[in-house]
Amino acid sequence: MGRIANKIVFLILLANCLYAGESSDILFLFEKGNEAYLNEDYKESVNRYESIIAKGYESGTLYFNLGNAYYKSGNIGQAILNYERALKWLPNDENVTVNLKIANLGVKDRIDTPPEFFLFRWYKKFVNLFSSRGWAIWVTLSAIVAALSFTLSWNLDLRKLRFLVRFIMYASIVVFLVALPEMVQRYRIETNHDYGIIIDYSVKSLAAPQGSSTELFIVHEGTKVNILDQDRDWYKIELIDGKQGWIPAGSVGII
Amino acid sequence: MILKQFLLLIIFVSFSFAKDIKMSAYVDRTQITADDVITFTVEVEGTTDFPNIPTPGGDDFVVISGPSQSSSIQIINGSMTSSKTVKWRLAPTRTGKLEIKSIGFKHKRKTYKTNPIFITVVDKSRKFASGQNSQQPQKSPQQPARPKTEHELYLEATPSKTTVYKGEEIDVSFDLYYKNVKTFSRKKLPDAQGFWMEEFPTRNNPDVTTEVVNGIVYKKASIQRLAFFPTKTGELTIDPMIIDCEVIVPRQRRKSLFDDFFDDSFFSDSFFGSTKIKTVASQPIKIIVKPLPEEGKLSNFSGAVGKFSIQSTIDTLETTQDQALTLKYKISGIGNINALKLPDLNFPKSVEVFEPKVERDVNNKRNKIQGTVVYEYVLIPRRAGNITLPALFFSYFDPSQAKYHRAVSRTFNINVRSQEKLFASQNLGLRKEEISLLGEDIRFISRENPTWYRSNSSIFSEAWFWIVNTFTLIIVLSAVGFRWWTEKMETNVAFARRRKASSTAQKGLKEAKKVMDVGDKETFFSFLDHAIIGYISDRLGLSTSGVGRQEIEIKLKERNVDVEIIKNTDSLLKRLDLERFSSGALSDSDCKSLFEESQNIISSLSKVI
Repeated sequence: MGRIANKIVFLILLANCLYAGESSDILFLFEKGNEAYLNEDYKESVNRYESIIAKGYESGTLYFNLGNAYYKSGNIGQAILNYERALKWLPNDENVTVNLKIANLGVKDRIDTPPEFFLFRWYKKFVNLFSSRGWAIWVTLSAIVAALSFTLSWNLDLRKLRFLVRFIMYASIVVFLVALPEMVQRYRIETNHDYGIIIDYSVKSLAAPQGSSTELFIVHEGTKVNILDQDRDWYKIELIDGKQGWIPAGSVGII
Repeated sequence: MILKQFLLLIIFVSFSFAKDIKMSAYVDRTQITADDVITFTVEVEGTTDFPNIPTPGGDDFVVISGPSQSSSIQIINGSMTSSKTVKWRLAPTRTGKLEIKSIGFKHKRKTYKTNPIFITVVDKSRKFASGQNSQQPQKSPQQPARPKTEHELYLEATPSKTTVYKGEEIDVSFDLYYKNVKTFSRKKLPDAQGFWMEEFPTRNNPDVTTEVVNGIVYKKASIQRLAFFPTKTGELTIDPMIIDCEVIVPRQRRKSLFDDFFDDSFFSDSFFGSTKIKTVASQPIKIIVKPLPEEGKLSNFSGAVGKFSIQSTIDTLETTQDQALTLKYKISGIGNINALKLPDLNFPKSVEVFEPKVERDVNNKRNKIQGTVVYEYVLIPRRAGNITLPALFFSYFDPSQAKYHRAVSRTFNINVRSQEKLFASQNLGLRKEEISLLGEDIRFISRENPTWYRSNSSIFSEAWFWIVNTFTLIIVLSAVGFRWWTEKMETNVAFARRRKASSTAQKGLKEAKKVMDVGDKETFFSFLDHAIIGYISDRLGLSTSGVGRQEIEIKLKERNVDVEIIKNTDSLLKRLDLERFSSGALSDSDCKSLFEESQNIISSLSKVI
């Protein structure tokens, strides 16, 4: 028993060391990117940030900074794409939402969003209070508190404290029951790759996934589209107002 | 009145000069029935010294009355014209196509001759209309017969062409041929499906000329000109144009000797007659529209037919980023100006292009429809650098040469300077929403070291999440288990005894050892005995007192315990019984071995029961 525990501890430490090694490397790149941004060398900044992503690491802040760098270098589509990605990690971050709003002003296509039912809107706001990791902390903490208070009230004669411990237990169970579905919901949002942003200046949307088919409409850089289907190098997209068409996969960035 | 005219003749006779004589002969109708009478008029103009005009001869007609003569003198702009009119009333002698033979006379050693006039005489019973078509010379073989109901009045539509290319202009002039029309008004312009129609301006008082058609003199007024541009191919029809005319109807008078005298144009005046409204229609025109030839068709041809040129202008060649430029393309020429379309423009990607403002100006003042189309584009360069606005190729088809041509505009190279220190939020166009945000920039980057995650990782791939939650689960389960355990220990004696058996046995052994160290051997043996028997009865749930060796042996056998162990247990218990009663006979080392043996027995028993 003891030997296994030792092994686990060792593995965790080893992983941490490896992580720390790579982490400092990434931090270096991140700081270089920030530096380039400060010097208004936005292209360099974009390159630095992108190389972090290429190494297989990501974070909400990174996407936010990358979005800024793209925006400053005039690449609206990429800017919006990265702000949207940042929102996945930082759903309640004001900086991201403000910058996304400003970047969206530069989008050519104006598609009216149908208004949402207010309950859905509230629910969405509530879910977006935390990322899935944030909700996971709530889930974990409430579970621990509930478990401990349960253990205490079940096995010990607490006399006067009994009511307090019971109350803490029920309260934490309620928190757990609320946070768990929100965590799952956020997890689903974060791992959802059904939405994309047009990154090419203007893209002709066709009736079928063939270059020769009828052109239906044109979408411009920065427009958010729902990806319904894929066929080789083509995505079937749907706009917010319900228009559907096929566009080349390379002209859209998946959020 | 006649008197007055004679007086004038007398006064001005001395001013007359010998001029060339103009002579014409006409009849009032060319189609009559066998019972009708026609008036044959010969007019001689240009001399005051009128010769004698001979009576029309021939067997086809007989002179009923005449000649009745009248002469007039007119002075216009100082030049005098005098004319003499001689009229006969003739009756046909047979039906069919008859000829009024030409009349000739000599004047100052010159011979003048009138044209022969052909008259169709039909039987009274036959329909009047049946003979009409042969009279009307047809413009082209496919034209339908013009329904002419009124001899005095008809509207003639004359197309400039009847076979055209799609998009080519056809001019149709509408001429009114009439004798006694006071006024007219256009009632309906022709409907022409498949055409784009353009009107030429009309004058209120059209020019009136005199024209002789089939021997009948008509006044001809050109009342309307229309231009048609076919937009389809195939056989198309331009529908008739309809006009209302106010026609003078001579007053009905009794026939008398003075008829001839009064049957004079001078009296055919509104003063003498009443008017009535008549509606006349032109004949429909069939047009054959050919498709444009495929041969030599240019790639970006968009249907312009005619002759065109293109001009492009730009307001500046030097600009700053995000400053709007105005680019104009002006296409001008003759042809179907309304069907003009600019070909697709290939502007550089960095230039934002707004929808062009299109101004069309059609000019119908000339002989052919002309016009200009101006496309005004507003361009906003979004990036600094040199931009080339490429040349525009505008293709059109020239029907007169039956060839495609291409007009080319010039290219522009524009130098776009960058706008220094201008933030992106300001250069994203002029949009309503942005006014409130103008001057605001995106939020600055975050510079603190964030928490890094592996790509495609999620909360469910985090180790701590699983470890902590498993730990929590363990706490809950152990709390539940502990509770269950304590409850069972309290309520179930047999269970408690069984659970506590080994610890009770250990305790007994410990006490036995204590006693052994003191040297109380009798108590030592009894303690060992108790520990072993107590352990077995606790484990097997036997009563606490009075358990004999035999009973233990039986119970162990029931449990299918190994025979060896049963034998050892039995012999050990036997020995302990023996030693207890022969006290002090055993050495300390023997005691120790006995103690160890008891320990071994208990541990070996703990494995099987």
